[in-house]
Amino acid sequence: MSGALERRPGPRRRPALGYDERNAAILVFPVVAVLLVVAAYPILYSFWVSLHDIVLTRPLRRPFVGFDNYLRIFDDERFWLAVSRTTVYTVVTVAVTTLLAVLVALLLNEAFPGQRILSALLLVPWATPSVVNGLMWKWIYDPTYGLLNALLVQLGLLERYRAWLGDPDLTLLLIANAAVWKQMPLAALLLIVTMKAIPDDLYRAAKVDGANVFQRFIHVTLPALRPGLMLVLVYETMISIRHFDLFLIMTQGGPGDASFTLSWLIYVETFRSLRFGTGAAMSYVLAMATFLLSWALIRWLGKRI
Amino acid sequence: MSNHAILPSRRQALAGLLGAPAVLLGLPADHAAAQAGGTVSFIGWSAAVDQVRAQISAFERATNIRVNYENFPWAQFRTALVTRLVGNAPIDVSWVSDAWLPEFAEAGWLADINDIPQLMRYNAEAADYCTQSMTYRGRQYGLAYYGDHMSFMYNTELLQRAGIAAPPTTWEEVVQQSLRIKQQGISEYPLLLSLAADTWLIEFVSALTYAFGGRMVDDQGNAVMADANRGSVRAARFIREAIATHRIVSPGAVETPEINGLRAMGSGAHAFGIVPTYRIRALNDPSQAQAHGKIRVALMPKGGPDGTNATLGWIRFYGMTPGAKQDRARRERAVRFMEFFGGRDTAGAYSMQKLLLTDVGLPSCALPVNDDADVKTFWDRWAGGGAVIAQQATLARKKDTISPWFGEWVETSNQAWQAVCLGRAEPEAAMRTAAAKWTELRRAFR
Repeated sequence: MSGALERRPGPRRRPALGYDERNAAILVFPVVAVLLVVAAYPILYSFWVSLHDIVLTRPLRRPFVGFDNYLRIFDDERFWLAVSRTTVYTVVTVAVTTLLAVLVALLLNEAFPGQRILSALLLVPWATPSVVNGLMWKWIYDPTYGLLNALLVQLGLLERYRAWLGDPDLTLLLIANAAVWKQMPLAALLLIVTMKAIPDDLYRAAKVDGANVFQRFIHVTLPALRPGLMLVLVYETMISIRHFDLFLIMTQGGPGDASFTLSWLIYVETFRSLRFGTGAAMSYVLAMATFLLSWALIRWLGKRI
Repeated sequence: MSNHAILPSRRQALAGLLGAPAVLLGLPADHAAAQAGGTVSFIGWSAAVDQVRAQISAFERATNIRVNYENFPWAQFRTALVTRLVGNAPIDVSWVSDAWLPEFAEAGWLADINDIPQLMRYNAEAADYCTQSMTYRGRQYGLAYYGDHMSFMYNTELLQRAGIAAPPTTWEEVVQQSLRIKQQGISEYPLLLSLAADTWLIEFVSALTYAFGGRMVDDQGNAVMADANRGSVRAARFIREAIATHRIVSPGAVETPEINGLRAMGSGAHAFGIVPTYRIRALNDPSQAQAHGKIRVALMPKGGPDGTNATLGWIRFYGMTPGAKQDRARRERAVRFMEFFGGRDTAGAYSMQKLLLTDVGLPSCALPVNDDADVKTFWDRWAGGGAVIAQQATLARKKDTISPWFGEWVETSNQAWQAVCLGRAEPEAAMRTAAAKWTELRRAFR
């Protein structure tokens, strides 16, 4: 045997990735690549845009301004107006949606004739496209031929037709109502699923202890609902804070500035004023606010689960 | 030689890839036509679509040039067009609003036609106001699609029922007649104003401002809309009082877009209204309006001590992109297209202008069209004669707020006017807000 053949093998180097890991990486790569192109790149590019003073109607100048766009936003009184409108809208929408969803979930968690049909019907608003929902409610509120006016006048509750969406004190609440109508079914479904997981033993034990219906709800149902409630609150908050379609269809931010929310401000800044730099910066602020709010909700509610 | 000269561009390569199967499969007709006459890309908003398509067919037959026609809703059109222009989409000709001209010209998205005599010769036959509306800094940027103005319309039947013999000549009379109609229970809100915060709002309030003898911006470009002696504040005060004090305008006006206003006027629910003139055709059409045959046009009433019969006029025009103008073949096709649509066709007739007027009611900027017998018949049939409309057209003035920053300023202006309508701001304060934004944007533009 030659010396070369007798060479002692060194310690075997473990490959960086095993067979399974390599195959997994190969299989996952196309998805990762697609995500990088369609998600990561636009996110990073829009951040880059937010650092420039880009106005589409002045295509030859796009100076780098660093974080000036962000500072300008906080000096803009429209921004704070939009923040206040968004806050009111989000609080009303999330609170009413959650409350109604709990009530509907409690109802549909009981066995009664027609329960299955009612559960199926519950899905109709949720399955309605947002644009259709917006148009439907716009027509319901219409000052000349709206269903709401006709109903209230015929019931004698209203003397003459009103311009509901033309009343700046009511506009946000009426849009919130349209949002609740669409969003509540999904929230109720999520809560029903959580309720189904509550063991019957708990209710039986509570009954033995003499708890009435209300006490059973407070001490058994509600604590057990917390994971579902957290999901509903976080999801509804994320949806409501960024709501846009209803505002576009129903009021276009008006009347006046009555429904001038953050997402509407971003639309106006970006697609009407064509200021893509500040529009992108506002979008980042909204995204960060949504993220932080969701994170806070999860932390706050998570501790209580 | 650079690579650019040797290698095909991405667009050419893509066209080649897409075209190869057609050649192999022997799909010759359209392709051959395109090769022979070429193609012109035209983008417009979704108005008069049937008439445009009919004219495109006539153009293709007459010239052997194919037309790629795209359209978008008016509300989204400016954004759609701008994003395409920024993205260097291959557009040759586009419809353009006079309101966008300065910003488009400053951005380099429109090519002037001063050196194209084939198009410039039509100025000799066009209303001067139309030509001025297509001109920015001494250069002309297109050929008219149509030119229109805001008209004061009234419902003859409602006036007759109220015992009113003649339509009002001043806005004070409008209030008096409206109150009379209201008191008799004929109409709850006799005066129709469409004041939703959309692209039409500035047109309506500008018309009122002019009628109240004022301006929004002076000849030097300074905002004068907050001046108490100019028309804007007076017009704003009139609107506020009409809604809140006299209750002759519906509070729902702030959520009434122009198209809904048209329907409301057509339903016969209102005695008076400010309406784009071209809507007279629809308002008197039995298939479209209950009040058909009863809507007539009067001169814009005068408002206040300095009132005039002036109104707002606007035009829309065919504009050519610089990309089309720079390429000799594209330029030739674009010019032929613009001439066929905005000027005379190959038979020497203003066929498109006449078609738009007689089919849709869109008034033409081309003066010879108004002498056409069919056009005179049209006005007689749908407006009870064209004399008042023609007189009002001579008193139409373009928006004095048209500027490179108009698109951005108008958002603030709309909110200010709506705040007045809602009683959330005094007319003076609201106009000061609009004026301040104007001054800020003007400074920033420099």
